[in-house]
Amino acid sequence: MVDHFLLLVVQAALIAVFFAFLWKRDGRERLRYLLKVLAALVLGAVALGWLMYPFPRP
Amino acid sequence: MATVREDVRMGRGAASLPEHVLMVAAWLVPGLGHFLLNRKLRAAVFSAVITVEFVLGLALHGELILPRAGEPLSYLAAVATVGNGILFLLATLLGVGEGVVTAASYEYGNSFLLTAGMMNLLLVLDVHDIVVGRKE
Repeated sequence: MVDHFLLLVVQAALIAVFFAFLWKRDGRERLRYLLKVLAALVLGAVALGWLMYPFPRP
Repeated sequence: MATVREDVRMGRGAASLPEHVLMVAAWLVPGLGHFLLNRKLRAAVFSAVITVEFVLGLALHGELILPRAGEPLSYLAAVATVGNGILFLLATLLGVGEGVVTAASYEYGNSFLLTAGMMNLLLVLDVHDIVVGRKE
């Protein structure tokens, strides 16, 4: 059984870590950026899911 | 002996390797380009993130997409697939990454595999930027 939300969070976490280390140099800055990207990806995906909810499936 | 900064300013890596060799190394093994430029922590993190992403993609029955006739988007996906470097080559040699279209996690697997490849390609560009002195 695949937990879709868990996979979403794992994917978002990996992407957040990657970009935090790619763009930021300082440890504190990295952590703040990581959390920001993680929150944006997870909350953005959930929000997009809710926005798509009223549209019927084909 | 030249410092890293001097090496970078002179268009060389810390290992005094030419730029194109560093870029090929960065593509071939995730994190190797940064390792050769003495960015060891970043190299370790990038290597771990990309490898985990790739292995999860395979475990989720994702497909290593290669160009298919009549499917223009498959060419773009193939760029990301090949971007995985040695991970892609190893998976191909081992005969994994065929993908199971009927699996519930197929699309998730694909996005993990494509993301890993795109991340590795970004690292190649990052190595280039470091070598030419555009980035520290």
